[in-house]
Amino acid sequence: MSDVHILGVGMTRFGKHPDRDAADLGAEALRGAVSDSGIDPRAIEAAYCGHVFQGMVTGQRILAQVGLAGLPLSNVENACSSGATAIREASLAVRAGEHDVVVAVGTEHLTTRFRGALTPDPSDPEAAVGATMPAVYAMRATRYMEEFGMTREQLALIPVKNKTNAAHNPLAHFRDKITVEDVLESRPIADPLRLHDCSPVTDGAAAVIVMSKRAAKRYGNGRAVRLTASALRTGTVDVEPTSMTFEPLTWATAQDAYERAGIGPEEVDFAEVHDCFSIAEVLRVEGLGLFKQGEYPAAVERGDADIDGSLPINPSGGLLGKGHPLGGTGVAQVVELVRQLRGEAGVRQIEGARVGLAHCRGGKAVGIEGAACTVQILVR
Amino acid sequence: MTEMAVGVSFRPGELEVRPDGSGNLLGSRCGSCGAHFFPVREVCSGCLSDDMETVGFSTRGMLYTYSVVRQSTPAFEVPYALGYVDFPEGVRIMGQISGCEIDEIGIGMPMVLSLEPFGEDEEGNPLTGYRFSPAEGIAQDPRNE
Ligand SMILES: [Zn+2]
Repeated sequence: MSDVHILGVGMTRFGKHPDRDAADLGAEALRGAVSDSGIDPRAIEAAYCGHVFQGMVTGQRILAQVGLAGLPLSNVENACSSGATAIREASLAVRAGEHDVVVAVGTEHLTTRFRGALTPDPSDPEAAVGATMPAVYAMRATRYMEEFGMTREQLALIPVKNKTNAAHNPLAHFRDKITVEDVLESRPIADPLRLHDCSPVTDGAAAVIVMSKRAAKRYGNGRAVRLTASALRTGTVDVEPTSMTFEPLTWATAQDAYERAGIGPEEVDFAEVHDCFSIAEVLRVEGLGLFKQGEYPAAVERGDADIDGSLPINPSGGLLGKGHPLGGTGVAQVVELVRQLRGEAGVRQIEGARVGLAHCRGGKAVGIEGAACTVQILVR
Repeated sequence: MTEMAVGVSFRPGELEVRPDGSGNLLGSRCGSCGAHFFPVREVCSGCLSDDMETVGFSTRGMLYTYSVVRQSTPAFEVPYALGYVDFPEGVRIMGQISGCEIDEIGIGMPMVLSLEPFGEDEEGNPLTGYRFSPAEGIAQDPRNE
């Protein structure tokens, strides 16, 4: 089992790209990662491509655009965890000793696939009675407010924080700061959630180059960051109804990652978590054990989760601010982690960041608590 | 398939609709450990037994949480209230909420299964689906006591 490093990260601007497609965006991200790493692209030995709705052989279309051929490549789909799953697969190939230099790219041209609320697969019994993704999270928010006394204003502080961070991220979908009033006056989507509580429909791609210790030594110039854990789990089937204000799947996946990394939640300096909705950030950071259950809304109010707070959450702007191109999302989180850990995050730089965590989860199937969850831990 | 007074279940494997207009949501009971699941499944995820029996659930339960949906797919007219109801068998089932004003809905409310017209099939025949409505009195289905 060899150490796994990440050297070379790239991403496109996240937003609406009406004149481009998923392969073209993926190729831009991949070229960015190659250029950031300083390697000759011919050193890439294998590739994994994460996407959800982009059709057959999207990864092959990306590689063709950058002139790479004859490699082992797999396209992976795991809903919103697709990109993160591609990184995990790349890390396994390196850990197994099969390859020294592997690229993971995640891409999505979502504006041509969806408008408005994402819905579960039509075969899902909950979709048949009118479930939308925002509605499911809205119901969790309703319950969380009842159990823990979170106010609507406290919940609004999460999109305010993330869009403030995004305003400092030149690649983010949204570049405008917003206020609590803006959130509360935005269009209602599913009570209590409003438009600013929901991540946007975004096009974009991101890529990272995963390497063995040997390759990182050869190419790294001290810029490689260690990927100490890349955990993946499916949700357990509910044998009886469980709390919807806590995430056993996030918890279990995090425990896998903490154990593998030999790092506990108290050692994490900052995190990118899957804030597909404002309430999702609350459920995630508490499920990861970064904050105690019921305490995150007050912590956000105190500024603890700000870039200059004690535990910054979503410094990139998160899904709410940076955007959520499904396949691109999980890879872009790791791009932010690497930039922060290398001290290259500019005005968003977290002072002294040494341990970063990325969390994705996605998909919905009736009867299971979450479909796919990933937790990755990077150490400088 | 000539009697359309009651309509046909919108998802026959999940909702049984009887000619008198009554019905039950259908799921599985594990013959080995007694766990219940919605919808019907082949294997118990508690004990992995495949000794599964299809059963109809109680018609009364308790509202676990809810939301009023204000943006949805073209198949659904907004706004509508959506909720999760916990049933005494130990299953939590999502459904729309009917029979009350939106601002009367609250967590913990006793709810009862209500069979209602729910869209139509490809030939335009009316289908019967389910919603949950506020129930008077206790949440427990008398059959389970
Ligand atoms: Zn069983």
